[in-house]
Amino acid sequence: MHALEITDLDKVYDDGTRALDGLSLTVRDGGFHGLLGPNGSGKSTLIGIVTGLVRGPVGHVHVFGHDAVADPRRARTLVGLAPQEVHLDRFLSARQVLSFHGRYFGMPTAEANARADELLAAFDLEDKAATRPNRLSGGMRRRLLIARTLVHHPRLAILDEPTAGVDLELRHDLWTYLTRLREEQRTSILLTTHYLEEAEALCDTISMIRDGRIVAEGTVPEIIERFGGPRLEDAYLRVMRGAA
Amino acid sequence: MSAADGTPPLPDPRLGDAALRTASRRGTLALAGREVRRVTRLWSQTILPPVVTAVLFMAVFGGALGGELRQVSGIQYLWFILPGLLITTVTAQAFANASTSLYQARNEGYIDDVLASPLRSAEVVFAYMIGGLYRGWITAALVGACALPFVEGVTNWALALLVLMLTGIIFSALGVITGIWADSFDQQAFVAALIITPLSLLGGVFYNVEELAEPWRTLSKFNPIYYLVDAERAGITGLHESAVWLSVAVAALVAVVVTLWAVRMFRTGRRLRP
Repeated sequence: MHALEITDLDKVYDDGTRALDGLSLTVRDGGFHGLLGPNGSGKSTLIGIVTGLVRGPVGHVHVFGHDAVADPRRARTLVGLAPQEVHLDRFLSARQVLSFHGRYFGMPTAEANARADELLAAFDLEDKAATRPNRLSGGMRRRLLIARTLVHHPRLAILDEPTAGVDLELRHDLWTYLTRLREEQRTSILLTTHYLEEAEALCDTISMIRDGRIVAEGTVPEIIERFGGPRLEDAYLRVMRGAA
Repeated sequence: MSAADGTPPLPDPRLGDAALRTASRRGTLALAGREVRRVTRLWSQTILPPVVTAVLFMAVFGGALGGELRQVSGIQYLWFILPGLLITTVTAQAFANASTSLYQARNEGYIDDVLASPLRSAEVVFAYMIGGLYRGWITAALVGACALPFVEGVTNWALALLVLMLTGIIFSALGVITGIWADSFDQQAFVAALIITPLSLLGGVFYNVEELAEPWRTLSKFNPIYYLVDAERAGITGLHESAVWLSVAVAALVAVVVTLWAVRMFRTGRRLRP
């Protein structure tokens, strides 16, 4: 069974914009999959459909075998999302942001609180537990957002540009955490990023998306071999310029 | 969990029907708790002003203006206006809370935390309505507590509470609908200021509609809030102009319809999800 299996996915917005055009994608269970593409290529739409934030797609989306369109509750239970934009409930403290999220996903209060404390420690936010998100620095808010993604022990974590705008130190800390998460808990991860060295360092498979379609996929060496290197960046530019 | 070596997947214990039901119950309570916490935390904006406003109305109309204002339809004027003030308070506060909280969550983007959760549309709507009901009822309870020492009491507690309950449900559901529909704070405020408040104040809160001249008497009877005020007045003072149980039955029907409408709007998600 795959963590995520998408077949022939189309999405046309109300204004007529075709965001996805027959897209198919597979993330294997326990895999670390990178989704690369320029702004407007359909990455966030794809993520929105998997997590229920974008309505009315045509096609098939399965999360660990559960139909994310016809049976979204089961699928959503297994998914954690770190969206691109940092939107955190400003009426709650950092600890409450985490514990309420866990409870929305069905965790008992005591378990959600304990998990919140664990993640605050893991993301070096213990001393900000009582602080509201709008009083945290940008880097701290980003860390809190990623911690929130993991509260309910998702089997598939979707991280939409998690390191956009964060400093180098935090980016490397996050790489270490995600690698450990994947190795120790076998959490499957779908990562979108514009930092190709990040995808190269973390992902075992990569898909490149352009105009709502997957135009290249494989392991990093496979993509470099097929489209030319020596770096992933060189292959990416060739793919996006239409060599695929 | 399936492994790379082909190990067959273990079923996730979170995905059984019973586990999902438990998760839904916990999630709904958490979101409702979040709404109640928001009202309580912002008490100086959510609870104090409407209580002060209603108490001032009672002080001015029920106390300071003496003489001929002391009796309406044979009862003490303060007692006469209390039911309408309670309905007006519940109406405005239940509506304001549900619409504002939901609109804020949409506008600031953190509604996605709820939309991406396994909660059903009906559960989310229920939780937002709980926030509206809590704010409406707590403010009405405080207004009633301030007034009760100065009036003759409550004639029919069950009827009075039932009407306040139905009023809260109707207007918190309308608040959810407005919170989903509004594209700006202006639109949301428009509904509150130019529809809800005038209808409330023109619903016979301060006067006996039967004593109005035409066409105002007939026009007043097209105002749905008039029937809620009248039924609440029947519960508190025993005085009423229309068929009370018909008003209650219609209010119950309206409560069901607007709640289902709110759930449907949430489920279709047109204003919530692109």
